[in-house]
Amino acid sequence: MGPVCPHPNPPPQAREGTDLPPDIDLPPMQAAAITDLPAPRRGRGLGWGRVTLAAAAILLCAAAFARAASAAGIPADYSPMVIEPKVKDGRTEFDLTAAQGRAKREHKRLYVYLGAIDCPYCRLYETFLRENAHELTQEFARDYLIVDLRSSLSVKASMLYFRVGAESLDYKAFMERIGDERARLLVYPSVWLFSPELKPLMQMPAGTGTFQTVPEQLEILQLVQ
Amino acid sequence: MIRALACCLLAAAALAVSVAVPTAYAAVGGLPTAIGHADSSPEWERLREKMFGTRTIDAASGRVQLLVPLRAAYGASVPVRIVSKLPQTASLYVKRLYIVVDKNPSPVAAVFDLTTEMGQADIETRLRVDEYSHVRVIAELSNGELHTDSRYVKVSGGCSAPPNRDQLHNIGKTLLKLPEGVKMNAPTPVDLQVVHPNDTGFELNNVTVMFIPPHFVRSIKVTYADRKIFDADLDFSIAENPAFRFNFVPHGAGELKAEVEDSKEGHYVGRLNVQPSD
Repeated sequence: MGPVCPHPNPPPQAREGTDLPPDIDLPPMQAAAITDLPAPRRGRGLGWGRVTLAAAAILLCAAAFARAASAAGIPADYSPMVIEPKVKDGRTEFDLTAAQGRAKREHKRLYVYLGAIDCPYCRLYETFLRENAHELTQEFARDYLIVDLRSSLSVKASMLYFRVGAESLDYKAFMERIGDERARLLVYPSVWLFSPELKPLMQMPAGTGTFQTVPEQLEILQLVQ
Repeated sequence: MIRALACCLLAAAALAVSVAVPTAYAAVGGLPTAIGHADSSPEWERLREKMFGTRTIDAASGRVQLLVPLRAAYGASVPVRIVSKLPQTASLYVKRLYIVVDKNPSPVAAVFDLTTEMGQADIETRLRVDEYSHVRVIAELSNGELHTDSRYVKVSGGCSAPPNRDQLHNIGKTLLKLPEGVKMNAPTPVDLQVVHPNDTGFELNNVTVMFIPPHFVRSIKVTYADRKIFDADLDFSIAENPAFRFNFVPHGAGELKAEVEDSKEGHYVGRLNVQPSD
C-alpha cells in the first residue's frame, strides 16, 4: 500500500524518477506563466509600468520559491540532523548510522522525523514547531537528537529503505524488526523515538496530528503513555 | 503578456501569502488536552442513564482495570485490555462486561455475557476510536454491583480509516489458538480471531467513491465441551479482523468452539480440539 498523507485533498504526487528533493509542483497556470515570459525586445521601449510589474512578479515568485523550499523540514531552530536519501534503482534509502553514532556519543535519544516535501500535514507540523520554538527547542535539545529525513509522497513503503550499518531494510521489514504497529501503512509525516541503541521507546501514532499542541508535544518527549 | 504577468503575480502572491501566513492553516491539535481519564462526558451521561438508570457505578473499587495506550498507532486498531481483580467463582463473578467508546457513532462496542468457566474475566481486543474520547469498561457482578474504569484516548479516524480488503476471500475464517498451551483446571488463555472487514459504513471506497455498506460481526458465542464460556454482542467499534484474548478453564479433553454471526447473516464456526497434553 502506498504512503498516506492524512489530508482530505491529497496534493499531487511528486514527479516519478527524479532525485530528491523534487521540485515543488506549481499550479499549471503559474508554471506556464513563468516559462512563457518573453525576453525583453531590444529597440523598442518597454513601459516603466510593465517593467515594474514584471520585476515585482519575478521577485514575488522567487520569494515564494525560497520560502516554500526553506519551509520544508524541521525548523533550523531545533538544530536537526538532516539526512537526505540515497536514491538508486527505485530505492530511497536513509542511512541512520551516523545519527545513531552521534546519539551514542552525546548520550541522547533519537527523535526521527520522516517528512515529505509535498505533504501539507508535514508543513502543518513543521509550522507548529516553528511557531512554538521558544517553548520547545530546549525541551527537545535536553534529551533528543532530532533527525530529519526528507522524503516525498511518491516514495511508497516498498521503495523506502532504512540503513543501519551494513543492514538495509525496507519500511515494512524495518517496522516489523522494531515491533512497530505502523508496519501496515506508511504515513507522512511519521515520528519514531529511539534509544541510542535504536530501540523504540514508545509506540508512536501514525501522523503527528495528536501532538500538535505544546502540552501534547511535551507528553511525547516525556514518553507519557 | 499582461495576462501572463497578472496570473503570475496573483499566483505568486497567493503562494507567498499561504507560506507567509501559516496560521491560515493552523489546525494544529486544538482538541481538549486537560481531560482526566476518570472524567465523565455528556455522551457518557446520556448513555449511562439509558443503560443503567440510577444504579451506582463504582469507579474507585479497582475491581476492574482498563489498559489502553494514550495514543495508539492507528485509530482503527486501538489495543484494549480489561483486567478483572476478581476470580470467577460461583459465589461472586463478573457476569457482564460492557465496553463503551463515548464519542463513537455507535458507542457500545461490546457486551460480554460471562460465566465462571472463564476462571478469570480478563479480555483483550482492539477497538475503532473515531475521535478523542474516553474508553470505558463497566463490569456487572453476579451480585448486581457495577464497577467501572476508563481511559482517555487520543486517536481519531478509526471508523472511517481506509479499509484493508485483501482477505475478503477468507471472510468468516475463525481461528482459535492456545498461546500458552493447556493449563488443566486453571485459567488458560485463548486467542480468537475472525477474518472479517468489520465495515462500519463510514469507510469510503477509493475507486467508486461510494461508502462501503456496514458489514460487521454481530455476535460470538464461545463454548468448551458444550459449556458456555461467554457470549458477546458486538458492534463495528470492534476493529477489523475482530480478535480477542480470553481465558477458559479446561477440565479434560473437549472441543473449544466459536460461533460467529455477522450483520449480513453470515454464520461461521471455528473449532479447536483441546487435549490435556497440548
